[in-house]
Amino acid sequence: MARRPILGVFDSANSAADAGDGLRRAGIPETDVDFLTDTPYPEGAFGEREEPHRLYIFPFIGALLGLTSGILLTSMTQVAYPMVTGGKPILSIPPMAVVCYEGTMLGAILFTVLGIIFESRLPKLKAGLYDTRITEGYIGVLVNTEETQHGDVEAAFGQAGAVDIKRE
Amino acid sequence: MASSAEQHHGGGHGHGQHAGMWVFPVREEITRDVAGKTFAMPSPYKLALGIAAILTILGVVGFFIRASSDGFGSPGPWGYYAGIFSFVFMVTGAAPLVAAAFRFTKSHWRRPLSRVAELFAMVGIVNIVLFIPLLLVMPPIKNPDVQGSDLEIRRTLWFEVPIGAPYTWDILCFVGLAFCSVMILWLSATPDMAQARATATGFRRSLYGALAGWWFGTKRQWNHHKAGLALLGAFYFMLLIFVQFIFITEFAMSMVPFWKDSVLPPMYTVMSFQTGLSLILIVMFIMRRWGGYENYIGKAPFWSASKILLGLTLLWTYHLFAFFITYWYGRLEVEQNILKYLFTQPYLVVFLGNMLFSFFIPFALLIWNPLRRSDWGPPLAGLVALVGSLLFNLRTFAAAFNTGNHFEFALSHVPAAVWPDIWDICIILGGLGIVALVYLLSAKLLPPMSIWEVKEGTLYQKMDKLMKGEYLVLAKPE
Repeated sequence: MARRPILGVFDSANSAADAGDGLRRAGIPETDVDFLTDTPYPEGAFGEREEPHRLYIFPFIGALLGLTSGILLTSMTQVAYPMVTGGKPILSIPPMAVVCYEGTMLGAILFTVLGIIFESRLPKLKAGLYDTRITEGYIGVLVNTEETQHGDVEAAFGQAGAVDIKRE
Repeated sequence: MASSAEQHHGGGHGHGQHAGMWVFPVREEITRDVAGKTFAMPSPYKLALGIAAILTILGVVGFFIRASSDGFGSPGPWGYYAGIFSFVFMVTGAAPLVAAAFRFTKSHWRRPLSRVAELFAMVGIVNIVLFIPLLLVMPPIKNPDVQGSDLEIRRTLWFEVPIGAPYTWDILCFVGLAFCSVMILWLSATPDMAQARATATGFRRSLYGALAGWWFGTKRQWNHHKAGLALLGAFYFMLLIFVQFIFITEFAMSMVPFWKDSVLPPMYTVMSFQTGLSLILIVMFIMRRWGGYENYIGKAPFWSASKILLGLTLLWTYHLFAFFITYWYGRLEVEQNILKYLFTQPYLVVFLGNMLFSFFIPFALLIWNPLRRSDWGPPLAGLVALVGSLLFNLRTFAAAFNTGNHFEFALSHVPAAVWPDIWDICIILGGLGIVALVYLLSAKLLPPMSIWEVKEGTLYQKMDKLMKGEYLVLAKPE
């Protein structure tokens, strides 16, 4: 059977949290459930699972690449065109710092943006299941599961007081 | 959470000296209301847009006449262009940082000012274009015509002149900064654009679909959103102070022989924080008074920001004094001409105006509690500080670009002041106009109020009774 999304729309955060409990009792895996909100709710407000992310790795890699490029570029320039300035050694760190810092920052920023795009799985060409009432403060509980389980999901939504249930 | 019935339409909560301090927008109506205001074209907006367009045209005319009459061969005629560019960059570059910095503090009062600040990212793109002529007029690092005791290589940041210095690294600074701020704006506005799609039409609908069609507000998305904003905000801060350091060193200090000053870059940065915050307060005041946002912007942001503005004003003066006293007390002969040139002789009047507007008047205004608690006091102090900053930039760059021989070992004489001609004035007005024009257009493209942040604020703030008084109750979930 194919996995298909089903969306329950709730007019309060408490009802949405109740729906989450109901889905858990019905044996729907937590990884199949998403809460759609118009604003970020505090961690665990719906009793939902923790969502770890790896976004911090991206700027770290970018910064490292930028720094390496900066070091290579400045040191190679200095070795290729040896020019004694102010009696300082040809390969001295302070004058390299400007380019290295700029390279590090640019690398970190670029990779952060790439990280956001990658982690958000962009571009998304297909629109998902949504209800515009979520923009008015309603909470959407989106379940992406086997069609055979849709009956259990609807029952959990109904018991929690869903104002609407939508299918794709 | 405050119920709809408890929430307030306009006027604001608070009593006595705190009357009107806090507002509680109705959450269910925020998206539709802000989208409606964004898409509307009221007459005052059209008038402001028209004035900004005229000023911009004046600036373009001034620029082309300056370019055709003086060319890009020497920096002297471009001193006032550099001054107005520096002013625009100083003020608008710092503005997006204000949003990021206050978001780090997780304060609730900053919610209405976040997008107001982030929208200045669009001006950052214009800054790249405005910066290019400065690269053209910047004297080369290597002296093409060494005479007498002149230096063979101009004193610059690029000690050993790495590949690409100075032009590529300079322009990359501005491109990187603009890219970072635009990404902050995009990321921050994504939830709002996704929500406003329902009411948007035509071009905006397509734009919102393209930029935010992927957004549904899942927990995972909100987590990435929060982390992305935090990371980009931190990097923006780290890059901004670096770019300011590069710019003021490269285009002011390096242009004046023997001007070696470690206080100038931090002073420039502090002034940019002061003026960036000032500009945001002015825009918020206009939005509150005439833009229909009185239900979203209470007096609390002005009150809270005014204390920071006061601190920044004092900090700027401290830096100026530290700079001045080192040169004055040091009594090095080669530094005395710099001191006379920039402060006490040809540009004395401008310097005194700079001090008056950057410190004395804002300080005198901001020490008064009733004025700090008003919605007009802090923006007024901010407006005055902006005038001071304009004078600072015009004085510094007009002087730096007109020292004559940039390869001299030290400033051998005190050059005469160069005052702006009609085309310089056009360029200055154009610089101000283009900022206003780009900002006004951007505020119609994207919601000027951070909808998701204001909504989040409604979860965590309410007025409640304690004995006979009514007080603001805040939740701090993290």
